[in-house]
Amino acid sequence: MKMKATSQEKVVVIPCSGIGKAFGSISRDAVYEVTENLRKDTTQTLCLALLVSGDEESLQLVRNSKCITVDGCPLQCAQKNVSLAGGNLAGSLRVVDAYKDNRQLKPKSVTFLDSDGQQMALAIAEKVAEKVDDLLGEH
Amino acid sequence: MVTAQERKVGIISCSGEGCVEGTISRVATRLVLGKLRPNETVTICLPLFLAGGKEEREFARDYPTITVDGCDKACAKIATGRYSGNPASSIVVTDLTKNWLCPQLSSRRKLNDETLTVAGKVAERIAEEVDVVLRRWV
Amino acid sequence: MSEYLRTVFDKFELLVRKGFYYTEDDLWVNIENDGVRVGVSDYLQRTSGDLAFMELPNPSSIVEKGKEFGTIESAKATVELLSPVSGKIAETNDKLAGKPELVNSDPYGEGWLVVIIPRNLEDDRRSLLSAEDYYKRMLEKLQSEHGKLESR
Repeated sequence: MKMKATSQEKVVVIPCSGIGKAFGSISRDAVYEVTENLRKDTTQTLCLALLVSGDEESLQLVRNSKCITVDGCPLQCAQKNVSLAGGNLAGSLRVVDAYKDNRQLKPKSVTFLDSDGQQMALAIAEKVAEKVDDLLGEH
Repeated sequence: MVTAQERKVGIISCSGEGCVEGTISRVATRLVLGKLRPNETVTICLPLFLAGGKEEREFARDYPTITVDGCDKACAKIATGRYSGNPASSIVVTDLTKNWLCPQLSSRRKLNDETLTVAGKVAERIAEEVDVVLRRWV
Repeated sequence: MSEYLRTVFDKFELLVRKGFYYTEDDLWVNIENDGVRVGVSDYLQRTSGDLAFMELPNPSSIVEKGKEFGTIESAKATVELLSPVSGKIAETNDKLAGKPELVNSDPYGEGWLVVIIPRNLEDDRRSLLSAEDYYKRMLEKLQSEHGKLESR
């Protein structure tokens, strides 16, 4: 029998939030969907840049928690930065892969997500939520 | 010699996920890039910059930059200074909003109309700084 | 000496590989012993965005100069690929099925698309551009560019 997550254990989900592409905005919105809605009791997020600026609290959090990164594109900046910070990288997803499963969606807008962007964010948020359950032994 | 046509300012925004000011920072930067100063600015993607993106770091080294941070942790300013050289100007959203009569800011995920207005004001402030930086560039 | 002609647009460096030929539609053509290898130029991969899908012909397919032989697709655009020469497909880059991003990350190397055995290379070559001429065309396109290119 798999153990359920303790009340303290939260998975840290970190988006790339890349500002130049719609996929970056989608990564951000997907993580908010997970941490504020789908798995709000078992996940949290943090600012990726805090890891590189050396914020000690953030560094300890990613090193002591299971982390999932959500990157917009194959450059995978969130994954790289969490790895460089010594984070406990337990999973990494890419929005571009969600696009491959949802070819009909053509998100264009970067600043504010259009309808296709919002749908893609929801699609990848579901995948992140499944991964969170997997990591916390909640299947 | 850099010609007038080649004069660009790099805007590096924090996009911090942890607070609404990070979202304001992001939206304001996008407004400058897309509407207020589209021909004079380039956005530097901070996560790519942090991960070692060659084009981002070289641009920030060779051109003046303005960092836009949501809070006083100033991650964009610190990273720019560390990897490419001190920015020509830095803006911190919480420094601006504490001096404005701001409404209750909305959630970090979806900005309400009032918070969008604040983002617009931040964008105008960034645009003013772009003009100052370009005037100083002889 | 660099093997590329280079220009910078915004923060992006755009490369044109010397020694290759090019089409008006931004494909590169490298003449090899057994055929011509074809791929997309740095300019085309940059303006297309993160590529997720490719439709490429199977080996032994016949292609005609100027006619569509495949497509590349991103969330931003679907681009028709027009064959630079007439002939038969000898090889298709099967790495791209699992890793289409190779076209973005290494357009002149690992991101090649197909190898074609040309029917009449001497005739077809006349309409191809040298690297230097393609570079000038690219600069003209950039000058009339609207909007911003995305990060690579």
